[in-house]
Amino acid sequence: MTYDVIVVGAGPAGSSAALMAARAGLSVVLLERGPYPGSKNVYGGVVYGRVLDDVLPGWWEEVPVQRWVTRRSTMVLTGTQALTVDFRSGAWGQAPYNGCTTLRSDFDGWLAGKAVEAGAQLVTSTVATGLIREAGRVVGVRTDRPDGDLRATVVIAADGVNSLLAKELGLLPKTDPKHLTLGVKEVLSLPKDVIDERFGVRGEEGVDVEILGCTRGIAGGGFVYTNRDTLSVGVVVSVDGLAKSEVRPEQLVADLKAHPAIAPWVQGAEVKEYSAHLIPEGGYDHLPQLHAPGFLLTGDAAGLCLAAGIWLEGVNFAIGSGLAAGRAAAAHVLGGAELSSYRKDLESSFVLQDHKRLRKAPALVLSDRVQQRYPQLIADLVEGLFTVTNPTAKPGAISLLRGAAKRNGVKLRHLAADGLAGGRTFR
Amino acid sequence: MGGLVVALLRCTDLRAEVDPLSGAITREPRTAALSASDAAALEHALRIGSAWGARVLAISLGGPEVEGPLREALALGAEVLRVATHQSYLEELVADEQALARALVTALAGELPDLVLCADRSADRGTGALPAFVAHELGVAQAPGLVSLELASLDGGETELLAERRLDYGRRERMRVPLPAVCSVEGAGVRLRRASLPASLAASGATIPVVDAALVPSAVRVVQARPARPRPRHLPAPTGTSRERLLALTGALLSHEPPVVVGPVDAPEAADALLEFLVHHGYLSRAPSGWAVT
Repeated sequence: MTYDVIVVGAGPAGSSAALMAARAGLSVVLLERGPYPGSKNVYGGVVYGRVLDDVLPGWWEEVPVQRWVTRRSTMVLTGTQALTVDFRSGAWGQAPYNGCTTLRSDFDGWLAGKAVEAGAQLVTSTVATGLIREAGRVVGVRTDRPDGDLRATVVIAADGVNSLLAKELGLLPKTDPKHLTLGVKEVLSLPKDVIDERFGVRGEEGVDVEILGCTRGIAGGGFVYTNRDTLSVGVVVSVDGLAKSEVRPEQLVADLKAHPAIAPWVQGAEVKEYSAHLIPEGGYDHLPQLHAPGFLLTGDAAGLCLAAGIWLEGVNFAIGSGLAAGRAAAAHVLGGAELSSYRKDLESSFVLQDHKRLRKAPALVLSDRVQQRYPQLIADLVEGLFTVTNPTAKPGAISLLRGAAKRNGVKLRHLAADGLAGGRTFR
Repeated sequence: MGGLVVALLRCTDLRAEVDPLSGAITREPRTAALSASDAAALEHALRIGSAWGARVLAISLGGPEVEGPLREALALGAEVLRVATHQSYLEELVADEQALARALVTALAGELPDLVLCADRSADRGTGALPAFVAHELGVAQAPGLVSLELASLDGGETELLAERRLDYGRRERMRVPLPAVCSVEGAGVRLRRASLPASLAASGATIPVVDAALVPSAVRVVQARPARPRPRHLPAPTGTSRERLLALTGALLSHEPPVVVGPVDAPEAADALLEFLVHHGYLSRAPSGWAVT
C-alpha cells in the first residue's frame, strides 16, 4: 500500500500535519499507538489556540474546553513564604480567547477528528516499529500489525519526545538528560463551585499558576491549573537534577500540595490521576535536524517545546510545527518542492522565531542562582519591605536588597549580570 | 457446513470514571472497547466460523461509540451490525433485557444462527440475563460460563462442539453443546487476533450497518441515581493496651458464628431465612408497616 503521507503519532503535531496534508488533497494515514488519540499523552494543562485561527476558524466554539484562562499568576515560593504576581483579563474570557485548560484525551481526539474529516485515515492501536528505507530515502514505515508495511512519499514523525523513528535515522542525538525535564502531575477532584470559590473565578473562567522555588532547589518549577471540576497540580524538573538529588518526583508534588500557599486550594481534593512525561527543553541551540530525504520531524520529537521562564508552551508549538510539516509534505508531493522548505517555513513562523529569540532562556531560567538563590532572595526582600519595624524606622529598599542578597549568597554584581542577561534574553 | 455464527458483543467504557466525591459515573464514548470476555467471544466466533466455513456476524447494541470495536471485528473478517439504542444512563439501569434480546433477534431478520457467542460477564455487569433471553427468543439451548470451546471431529467429516465449564472446588465440567445454541464464554484461554494493517485501513473508512432497536420503554422509571453509600455503623473506640485494641479492631481470637446451611428450601422460605439473617445482624428491623433498614 502506498500513500502520499504517513503521519506517525496522533498528538497535536501529528493531527495538525495530517490535517494540512489531507486538506491539500493528499492520501494520508495517521498512525496512533494508543487505542484512541490522547490516550497516552500527558501535559501540564493549557492550550493557546491562536495558532488555529486560520486553520479552524471559530475553533473556540467547538474545542473541548475545561476552562478559559482569565487569570495568570506567577508565584515565588520558599518554605514558608509566597509572592504572587497575579493578572486577570476579562478579554481572555471572551472570544477569541487566549488560552484554555483542556484534557489531552479530549483535545487530541477533537483535533484528530478534524484530520479525519479532512480525509486522513486514522488507524489506532498500531505501533510504527521502524522505517523502510531505499537508496538513502525513507519510503515508509513498518508497523506491529500483520502485513504491516506501509509506504509513502513522505513520513512525518510526530512520535513524541523520545522519537524512535528519528533515532533510527540518526537525527536525534543520544539522549542528554541536561536537555530534558520531567513533568509530574496529579489531577485532583474538587466540586466546580469549590474551585470557583477558592480561585475567585466564575462560569468557565480558569486560572493558570506558574511557580518558581517549589522543587527543593532542583532546576524546574511547579504549576496549578484549574479544570472544570479538577485541578492539575504538578512540577517540571530537570532530569539531571532530579537524578542527582535522589528525590522522588512524587515527593516534590506532595511538597507543593502541602505548601501553606497551595494547601488551601487542594484541601479535601481526591487524586484522580497521576502521570509523568519527559519534556524536551533544550531550546533552539539543541534542535535536531528537522528533515531527511522523505522524512520530517515535528512536535516534541523535534524538540519544539518552548520553556522560557514565564512562557511555558508546548501544544501550540506542536500544532504550529505540525501544520508546517503538513504544508511541506504537500508542497513536496504536489509540486516537487524540497522538504528543506519545512525548516524555512518554521524559521519564518513563531515556532522558530520564538525559540531563536529565547534561545538563552533555558540556561538562564534553569541556572543555579535563579533556581536556588533568587526565590528566597525575592521573598526575603518583599518580607522586609512589608514588615513594619516600628519603633525602628523603615529600612531603605537598597539596604534590604543588600541584606537579602548577602543572606542568600548572591553578590550584587551577579544580580546585575543576571538582570542584564534576563533583559537581553527577554527583550 | 456453512451457516451463521453470531458474536453478540457488548462494547462499553472499560475505564469508566467514578467521581470519588459524588459517585457519579462518567463513561467516555471513545474508550468503549471489548472486555476480555467479549474479545474471547469474538475470537471463538472467528475460529468456529472459519472451521465451519460459516459467516460470522458481530452485533453490538448501543450508540455510535460501539462502532470502534465493530470496525475491529470488521477488520478481522466478520460482518458487523449495530443495533441502535437511544437509552440514557438512567434508562439503561432498568433496561428490559428481554426486550433487548428481542431487538437483537429481530435484527437477525429471521435468520437462525447456528451458534451465538457472547461474553460471560462485562465490565459494567451489563451482560446480565441477556444471553438467556436471547436463547429463549431463538428457542435454542444455552451454555453459560464456558472457559473453553472447541470443535471435535466426528466420523463422516462432521464436527461437534465441546465446551468446558468451571465448577466449584476447581473442578471442570465438559459438555457436548447441541446446536443451535447460545454460549457465554469467559475471557480465558484465547486471545483476540490482530487485524492486518490493510484490513484495518479498509475498515477505518467503512460504513457500519445500523438497525434501530425500537425498544419499548421500561415500565420502571428511574428518577435519580445516587452513589451507593452504606449507612455507617457507629462502633465504640476500643480501649486497653495497643494489643487489646488491635485484637478488638481485627476480631482476631474472637469466636465467630459458623456458617449456617439453610435448605434445600423453597423461595419463600429462603427469603424468610435471608430476612432473619439481616435482622439478626442488625441490618433490618421489623416495623409496624413492614421492614425497615436500620
